[in-house]
Amino acid sequence: MIRLAPEIFTRKFNHKDFSVSETTPMPQAVNQEFETRCFQFKSTRAALNELILSTSDTALLKPQLAEHAAKVPMLFSNMPVILNLQQLSEAPDLDALSSLLDLCRELSLVPVGLKADPDTSSELCRHLKLADFSHQRRLSKENEPEPSQPEPPAATEPVTPPVQTAPGAAKVITTPVRSGQQVYARGTDLIILAPVSAGAEVMADGHIHVYGPLRGRAMAGVTGNVEARIFCQSMEAELISIAGYFKTSEDLHSECWQQPTQALLRGSRLDTVSL
Amino acid sequence: MAEIIVVTSGKGGVGKTTSSAAIGTGLALKGFKTVLIDFDVGLRNLDLIMGCERRVVYDFVNVINKEATLNQALIRDKRTENLYILPASQTRDKDALSVEGVEAVLNELAESFDYIVCDSPAGIEKGAQLALYFADTAIVVTNPEVSSVRDSDRILGVLQSKSRKAEQGESVKEHLLLTRYNPNRVEAGEMLSVDDVKEILAIPLLGVIPESEAVLKASNQGVPVILDADSDAGQAYDDAIARFLGEDREHRFLNVERKGFLSRVFGRKG
Ligand SMILES: Nc1ncnc2c1ncn2[C@@H]1O[C@H](COP(=O)(O)OP(=O)(O)O)[C@@H](O)[C@H]1O
Ligand SMILES: [Mg+2]
Repeated sequence: MIRLAPEIFTRKFNHKDFSVSETTPMPQAVNQEFETRCFQFKSTRAALNELILSTSDTALLKPQLAEHAAKVPMLFSNMPVILNLQQLSEAPDLDALSSLLDLCRELSLVPVGLKADPDTSSELCRHLKLADFSHQRRLSKENEPEPSQPEPPAATEPVTPPVQTAPGAAKVITTPVRSGQQVYARGTDLIILAPVSAGAEVMADGHIHVYGPLRGRAMAGVTGNVEARIFCQSMEAELISIAGYFKTSEDLHSECWQQPTQALLRGSRLDTVSL
Repeated sequence: MAEIIVVTSGKGGVGKTTSSAAIGTGLALKGFKTVLIDFDVGLRNLDLIMGCERRVVYDFVNVINKEATLNQALIRDKRTENLYILPASQTRDKDALSVEGVEAVLNELAESFDYIVCDSPAGIEKGAQLALYFADTAIVVTNPEVSSVRDSDRILGVLQSKSRKAEQGESVKEHLLLTRYNPNRVEAGEMLSVDDVKEILAIPLLGVIPESEAVLKASNQGVPVILDADSDAGQAYDDAIARFLGEDREHRFLNVERKGFLSRVFGRKG
């Protein structure tokens, strides 16, 4: 019913990315700059998630979103999202939309824009003080290459986010990641040459490699890269997730427990394969 | 220049104070001028374990607040030469300690001592963070159970990120001290084994202290258990100190003691 899909937008103004500790800044491509005395417009690239709804019934939506938020709290901590209503059979009215937005905010998401029926969206966005992304699809497609892989069936044309591929760009961690610690490789892969303890969280926009036991949570492709994978020498994770699709240790126990494992997305299914 | 050792764990009641007393005494016995500092403000009991509670006049907080000099507050141990105790305040709370205040006291102590042993309060909050902040070396006290191991893992993360060494891009030296180890319960599957704990925490093992009656007896008498040289726990602490100082000693008290002649002869086979 819910899915978080990536979206690229090329112009932003003071966009606050979701905050995690230990970040690697992404290089920002500055296309144009207008200098004035009191402020400055800067065009940047940032990955932004879309929350694609297949219902506007908050009563149905709330428990599922809340469950998702509880399992991947890092993903939800002030993450900016575009609310996508284009899958809905019936467009919600202003009141319904307001309660949808309230629900998102309650769960620490930060709705920044709307993607709806292009004919009515501008009116809605003006009322709700949101940015209108309803015409965005074409724009981002012009700027981005077509996705080269088959897409998950539930998704609406996810665009491959800008994962850095320059050699040596991966974030490398050589000491154990302990309970309570978080490591995030922004815009790149994460390579860990030590154990990841239960209660630790490791995240990457790209792949995650753990040359040791993975006992905590690992989230690859956090900005929506469905191609991201997780590799580890011994799968003992509390939770793994790729592009928002996740499995808990309960599932993993019956599949690949304590085995050298890779996890990858096949369509909308998160598969584990022993190495 | 003194080496600052923090005895820490995350979890309470695992044997930090018992171990601090033994380690401080052990180092002093080897001839190093050593001071034991009780960072557990409000729950002081290092002085009880050391048997000097009746001689406490001034405490750590008094020194920080400049209400007393270090010399006035330091208690010289009556049994062990080279050993001093800086007791905690029983009446204040943890907020009475400040980073600057602690640093000033440590700097002054560092001028004349070889080792400064800091007995940390439980938890991972301010009190525990202050106790470990200036450490060069950490002795992480862990019991062979899942929750204690998890908390030790957590405190290792804090050592790596919130200590002065970490802030300077260096790392605090880490040692694992496994205490209250009961081989019978390990064999019965009720406790984690040494290998389990080593596997999870992935730091070098300084020693394994068995669960022992001698500890309770010693603490009731106000004598650090390391001075009970006939006891298993006392010997295990002595081994740990020797290893800390670079000696290579085999680990003892890891296996169930077989009782009776036949089991002593045949017990290890099969
Ligand atoms: N090896 C041991 N065998 C038996 N009891 C122990 C042992 N180590 C500690 N204890 C007991 O455990 C309790 C907590 O010890 P303490 O050193 O005060 O822990 P902490 O300072 O971590 O709170 C005390 O009652 C102590 O006597
Ligand atoms: Mg204590």
